[in-house]
Amino acid sequence: MESTIELKPQTECTLPAAPIWQDVLAQAVTGELVAAMNYSALAAICDDPGEIDEALEHAAIERRHAAVFLAAGRRMGVEVIANVDGKHWKKIRESFQRRVEERDYIGCLIIQEIMLESFALASYNRVAKVAPEYLADVFGAIAADEQEHADHAMAILKAERDANAPLFDDKLHELHLDVMTTLAKMLAKECKDGHCEVCQSSCVKPDLIEVNLSAALLRGASLQQYLRTLDTLGLPGEVTLTWVAQLPV
Amino acid sequence: MGRAVARLAPRVDFALVGHPETWRAAADVFSVLRGPEHTPLPDDEIKDILPWIPPRTVCRVDVQSIAGAKARGVYIDSFIPPDRLDASCVRENLTRVRAAAASAINAGARIVSLGGFSSILIEGNFDALPIGQNTVFTTGNTLTVAFIVQGIERMSALQGRNLRTSTLLVVGATGDVGSGCIRCLAPKVRRVQLHARNAERLRRLAAELEAEGVDVEVATDLSQFSRPADVVICAASLPSSSLLLDRIAPDALVCDAGYPKNLSADAETSRATVFFGGLGQITGGIAFEPDLHGILNRHPFPNVAHGCLLEGIALSLEGRFEPFSRGRGGLTPDHVAEIESIAARHGIYLAPFFNGDGPVTFTMK
Repeated sequence: MESTIELKPQTECTLPAAPIWQDVLAQAVTGELVAAMNYSALAAICDDPGEIDEALEHAAIERRHAAVFLAAGRRMGVEVIANVDGKHWKKIRESFQRRVEERDYIGCLIIQEIMLESFALASYNRVAKVAPEYLADVFGAIAADEQEHADHAMAILKAERDANAPLFDDKLHELHLDVMTTLAKMLAKECKDGHCEVCQSSCVKPDLIEVNLSAALLRGASLQQYLRTLDTLGLPGEVTLTWVAQLPV
Repeated sequence: MGRAVARLAPRVDFALVGHPETWRAAADVFSVLRGPEHTPLPDDEIKDILPWIPPRTVCRVDVQSIAGAKARGVYIDSFIPPDRLDASCVRENLTRVRAAAASAINAGARIVSLGGFSSILIEGNFDALPIGQNTVFTTGNTLTVAFIVQGIERMSALQGRNLRTSTLLVVGATGDVGSGCIRCLAPKVRRVQLHARNAERLRRLAAELEAEGVDVEVATDLSQFSRPADVVICAASLPSSSLLLDRIAPDALVCDAGYPKNLSADAETSRATVFFGGLGQITGGIAFEPDLHGILNRHPFPNVAHGCLLEGIALSLEGRFEPFSRGRGGLTPDHVAEIESIAARHGIYLAPFFNGDGPVTFTMK
């Protein structure tokens, strides 16, 4: 699988809302780098050479996505600084790493392809609707790329669930409590636990309204994508509704 | 669905498709789902989150008939936000109803009751719904009509009101429920007043009734009627409780059968007897998992639900998985009598009278 994203010539311009896009891009770049690290770690626990190649290829694609976002920032005249050690992202990486240490290939896929991908897909698609044209193109194209990853992984996860649904659902719930709780805090309307350590200065959430976005909208779209993904896998709707209802706000 | 889960999945006879009538109702459902160990979500969070939830099963429902029959089903919420029922959201809401119908089909439901606005949005066009080989849809409107008519007759009897000398006003007269009520009650009252927004549909309904010798008056504006009505049925498809009744008899009997309710809090009905109509009570037994008793059915009496939802349950208990109500304005008194007797056979009766203030106490007229 190859990324369809191309770096475009960099012509710098400045937008009035550039500081907001700078923070939005910082979250996106950080997310992509975390994904790249996750896939690289996943490759280390794969037995099948094909799976190893695929994981490394995904890692490369995610790094390229990060590079494209960084380039988009430069074009806008802002420096985008990623922080994979930012409070929430670090916790998510640690959750993933625990699965790697347990050589839990399916657990890793659940975290990356269901949870993080739902968040990325929904957020990128929403940003693509309101961002300035070239930035919208970047987010839209990367969202399409991510969708392709997710579709591929879904086939593997569906087969896994078909083999033993109760076991699969229990594992998913355990990971939901761990990872989705962190993501829900990241997506909350207000950062109640202090600065996320990714935004450049103060929290960007209150300012998102200036670019026709909001934390509530990004959270809603992400949860919707997550629920739909779980529906596709065949999890009972009333069960996943309860899971989502119990997330922190 | 995975094989292991499929083996354990309970049989689903019926699905009830609904939507929250109020934000309070939605918040209460979330509160139960969150459980006692989590603080309830603030109202603003509920309003932010609910519109994003794809339609899905909220709980499982087990019902028992007084005749010994049992049926299992699911309650599926389309999560249409209570403040987005108006015309500007029709397309979005239709998508939700279709998704709820698909969810019912996936659950394996053999009959699906389309509660409240779900059937109004579909407008009898069942072809707009996804196709399930073993699933049929019913609007549930026939049982709603049965309970409205029963309510009017019983309350009139309790009050000593003579229906034969009464003027009956039906607001929302050309709708499936409104026209069904008129066909049942017109022969029993002195005259009928038909109110709706569409003048042509009103004219056609009036012509049908006049051909049967009914004294009919029609208007698209409530203030145009020549005399105040003394029995009123509110069955309009209103997205919110906004109906004002300013020209009814001071001691009128008013049945508010809307879902959501029609009558505005500002309606001048201080001396009138107002009750919520179209509701029935399951006397054989009903259980929810998770336990949403009194949450999904927020009424002052136990085991009360809208007739539109109860119709699917009654037909399941009867083993009649057929599209009993198709929502095209064709409800006849014979149809109404048939569903009434099916429901009664399984212990589903007219609900005790109540309104927004609680149980209705009546006075002799």
